[in-house]
Amino acid sequence: MIAILRLLLFAFIGLSVFYLLLGAYWRSLRREALEKQWDAAPPDGQGAAERNAFIAKGMEAYERGLKKKLLWLVYVIPMGLIVIIAYVQNYQ
Amino acid sequence: MSGYLVWGLILLLLIGGTLFLRYRYPEGSSGRRRMKWGFWALVILIVGLFLNYTLPSHDVVRITNTYNRLTTVSWENAWAYASPDTGTGEGTQTRDIRFIEAVHDDDSVVVFRNEDTGWVWPPYFKYDSSNLHAEASNLRSDKAAPQWVMVTYYGWRLPILSIYPNAVKVRAVDSADATVLPWVNILILTALALLILMLRRMWLQFRERTIDPVVEDAGDFLEGIDAQADAARAQARGWWGRFIAWINTWRQKPRP
Repeated sequence: MIAILRLLLFAFIGLSVFYLLLGAYWRSLRREALEKQWDAAPPDGQGAAERNAFIAKGMEAYERGLKKKLLWLVYVIPMGLIVIIAYVQNYQ
Repeated sequence: MSGYLVWGLILLLLIGGTLFLRYRYPEGSSGRRRMKWGFWALVILIVGLFLNYTLPSHDVVRITNTYNRLTTVSWENAWAYASPDTGTGEGTQTRDIRFIEAVHDDDSVVVFRNEDTGWVWPPYFKYDSSNLHAEASNLRSDKAAPQWVMVTYYGWRLPILSIYPNAVKVRAVDSADATVLPWVNILILTALALLILMLRRMWLQFRERTIDPVVEDAGDFLEGIDAQADAARAQARGWWGRFIAWINTWRQKPRP
């Protein structure tokens, strides 16, 4: 019983690290895309303040979006795999 | 001698050897170039052997005997056995282990062990050794009326270390030529390759967005100080230098 708790603990720690890394990566990609979108065709007479507002608005939309929710699959898929493997291995 | 001590000494030797070679062959020498080739060849070899040991393999055999016997496990082969707390293990040295003896179609023999992997490495999460043993016993047959069995296992048979592959599944098949598509291996290797590509792209993105701008700033700041600028730019080359430059931005900046 202790062994399965230990597995869950270490899996949780490892997956959390990956969750944070992947989250930072996706945020970074989104921010870069927003910056490029603005820089490709900046509206006339608008400066750095409007650019920052545009990016902040885009990032807020990302934080509420579907992709952010899909990040939970980082936990769901490996934990589901453990259950499936254990079932296929041990029960016919 | 205790296993931890031996593996610790081997690790120390490896680290010491690496440091020695690093200073013996400085950056840019032909020895360093060859060493880099050797290093990557070694990494690929070790990863390949690790995957070869851990991923499931299949073998069509006729089971001739199933039994258990007291087996002594010591530091040199303990890595190929279950960790002591996963089931059959009683002490750390001697434990009762189930074995499955089998022959191939060409009369060459193979011996599997049948041990729980428990909830640790490798991640087969097998805890039904007793059931597997009963199934294997049920499938025993003799040469006159052979019952061929597809055994799924992982691990190696190395007599010199007294290690045995661990059987994880047995399944009756019609003939000795039965084959199976290793789709589990295909899935795992594909996922691994995707994960490595993903980590590489994550690192490149981190470098482009977080480290490189910092290095450019540091370069601008140092322009004025000729003597240090060259040294700093030389250091800023290579990913380690960039990483250090990024770390340095956490330090308090000197007032201009």
